[in-house]
Amino acid sequence: MMDSTQTDRMLAEEGARNIEWAKQGMPVLKVIEDRLKKSGLLAGVHVGVGLVLEPKTANLALALKNAGASVSVYCQGSSTTQSVVEALRAEGLKVFAEEGCDADRDVQLAREYLQTKLDIIIDDGASVIRLAHKEFPELVESMLGAAEETTSGVRPLRMMHEDGQLRIPVISVNDAETKYLFDNVYGTGQSCVMAMLDITNLQLSGRFVVVVGYGWVGRGVAKYAAAMGARVIVTEIDPIKALQAVHDGYRVQSLAEAAPIAEVIFSATGIRGAVAPAILELLPDGAILCTAGGGPYELPMAALQALGTEKIVRQSVAEYVMPSGKTVLVLGEGDCINCSDAEGNPIEIMDLSLSLQALAVEQIITEAHKWEPGVYPISTESEQEVARIRLEHEGASLEPLTTELAAAIRSW
Amino acid sequence: MNQIAAKNGKPLSDADVGRAQIEWVRRNSPVLDGFVRELLAGGELKGKRIAVVVHLEAKTAFLATILADAGAEVIVAGSNPRTTRGPVVAALKERGITVVAAPDGDHHTWEQELLAAAELAPEYIIDDGAELTMRMMHHRPDLFKLLKGVSEETTTGTSRLKAMQAEGLLTFPTLTANDARCKHLFDNKFGTGQTTLQALLKMTNRKIAGAKVAVIGYGYVGRGIAQYAKAMGALTFVSETDPVRALEAHMDGHTVGSLATVLPEATMVVAATGGMRAIGARHFDFLRDDVVLANAGHHDLEIDVEALLAASSAKQDTREGVETFLLGNRKIHVLSGGALVNIAGGAGHPVEIMDLTFAVQALGTHYLMTTPLEPGVHIIPKELDDSIAAAKLQSFGVTLEEIHADQNDDFGLDKEGI
Repeated sequence: MMDSTQTDRMLAEEGARNIEWAKQGMPVLKVIEDRLKKSGLLAGVHVGVGLVLEPKTANLALALKNAGASVSVYCQGSSTTQSVVEALRAEGLKVFAEEGCDADRDVQLAREYLQTKLDIIIDDGASVIRLAHKEFPELVESMLGAAEETTSGVRPLRMMHEDGQLRIPVISVNDAETKYLFDNVYGTGQSCVMAMLDITNLQLSGRFVVVVGYGWVGRGVAKYAAAMGARVIVTEIDPIKALQAVHDGYRVQSLAEAAPIAEVIFSATGIRGAVAPAILELLPDGAILCTAGGGPYELPMAALQALGTEKIVRQSVAEYVMPSGKTVLVLGEGDCINCSDAEGNPIEIMDLSLSLQALAVEQIITEAHKWEPGVYPISTESEQEVARIRLEHEGASLEPLTTELAAAIRSW
Repeated sequence: MNQIAAKNGKPLSDADVGRAQIEWVRRNSPVLDGFVRELLAGGELKGKRIAVVVHLEAKTAFLATILADAGAEVIVAGSNPRTTRGPVVAALKERGITVVAAPDGDHHTWEQELLAAAELAPEYIIDDGAELTMRMMHHRPDLFKLLKGVSEETTTGTSRLKAMQAEGLLTFPTLTANDARCKHLFDNKFGTGQTTLQALLKMTNRKIAGAKVAVIGYGYVGRGIAQYAKAMGALTFVSETDPVRALEAHMDGHTVGSLATVLPEATMVVAATGGMRAIGARHFDFLRDDVVLANAGHHDLEIDVEALLAASSAKQDTREGVETFLLGNRKIHVLSGGALVNIAGGAGHPVEIMDLTFAVQALGTHYLMTTPLEPGVHIIPKELDDSIAAAKLQSFGVTLEEIHADQNDDFGLDKEGI
């Protein structure tokens, strides 16, 4: 038997290898780390990183540390990879996360994390920012600001601000073009379609695939499903987005109309109840339901579970038998399948999002800490810097903006 | 599969898990479970000893059960020591099928398994790479003489059978499944194409949008990989020695060139020639830093990993299935040690594809039993091939257009070519 120290060390080595692999696909973050290090700006600043804890986000934490910050890391048990925890600890970071721990323990860890007196919080879903405002107002007073990664975190932060409760400036990284135009479309699109194929060992060739919602995630899912040979049908409540889907070469129908031929449904709305229970009996026998980007709340999970017929027929594939005798299959318990059953977004895509986080930290230190409490966009310069570095790494070059072109652009 | 056990409340045996995996294959294999089952119900397979030597996972297991249900005495062995799945073996044994393979074997145990299969004196073999056929010839010539027919899965095995025929060693008829359109048009192109991309992206966690993917060889496998990569947003490059195929790749919209021109651009390289050393020592100078190399061809030697190791100053295990070789200051990543990436690093072909391939094998075996054929290498008749595609289309509810007499041109040429 190995003792726990040995196990930890082996886990740390495994985590370090995966962090190193991710690092090779994150050249933008490296350039920003080097620049921040040279500036000395982060010296003595205590940054908290509270994102899904896996190799890519570990690289953000390490980049901030290498640039001179002191870094603490927090994550919920359900989103934590223990090998990454051990690897970060071996690098001297304070980590408040335990893979698989329950919700009570999550809150306890979040409190301990906050009590390390963070100057800046990088948050996911605004859960730590909210906890800090509720339980540790005195700690919030000494914070410089925060950065938020997701749509679902930005919404409550705006509500807090409207109610006059937000006490710090927060930079909404989620709203950056360099995030949602890439992360949501190419990242979530690729990884969810590939996860569906990996889980089922099936094809999409020739299948009718319904994509519910034609936002950025829906567009990505439709694109990659079509690439794998699917016949894509889009459902959308917004007439303009629906018209775009028509012009992108997809059939556009209501879900009720499309349901009788829907072999696979990807819900890509982020909206509760996007696939209503009434749809279930319309589906062909053996239809597959899954979620891309959002969570199980998009699917009629309660109605399915109430049938009392749940059977796991394959790893991450649950079968439900409807009163009519037809079966419906749900992948990954309805969770976003690229996170529940794969490694999340591709590395190079997260290089963009996480580099923006590093730049948000810089912006908070240089100017944003003086701003009134509120939710702010990341600067256009930061976005362009990220895109430029990535372009260079992709071997692409920009057309130079000549004085003639500049003049023509400004002519009227 | 622990999830299955936990969810359904009671601990499951290996055989339970294997049965669930085989059932998943059944529900997605309408041709085998319908058309083929009905055709074999005539009783011609009753009491016939058939050895099935294919990668022993759930899809192969389902084929074995179809043959057993038709009355055959089925002997199952694996075609590769590393691809045999324990739960599937348990499920097959539970239902009385003879399995001579075990999981977690090595090359030596696999040899023993094939010899054990030979000892059981099969009359027919569904073979992969002619592995069992050749061993019977070498080790049990007495039993080899009693063989009545072989249906072979791969191009490699077909070449071996043809070599045997040339030397006058084939005393029985053989069928080459790979030459059936229902096999190579789908299995090689769509099956290998899709699952190679899946394995590449899963093993690396990298993006495909804007990736520069070079495919070496533009046969059916190469075409499938290049087509899926391009459709997913990669910049695609093809290298080919055959001018007609190279021209086809050009018109399909890929950038075609020699390895010297193509490799320096590529961030991912997939070998799909079916030969050896598609990427060998002479090409290493062309590879760029941080390139990912994968093999989608039959031979583990399609990427010359030994030569790469010899040329490297260091090698490290980078992450699961990924090894990195240091060439000067360039890092070269190799997936699955150069083994077939979609099988070693993924779940193998999609179920629906193997529904076609194994229908070819099952109907081929039936054909060998029911039709007098000369010893030698044969192809399954076009009518059988067509009937498989028709059954698949029927399962989708797809109808075919019929040809009418007035559609023939004045010379009354054959329907072919319209």
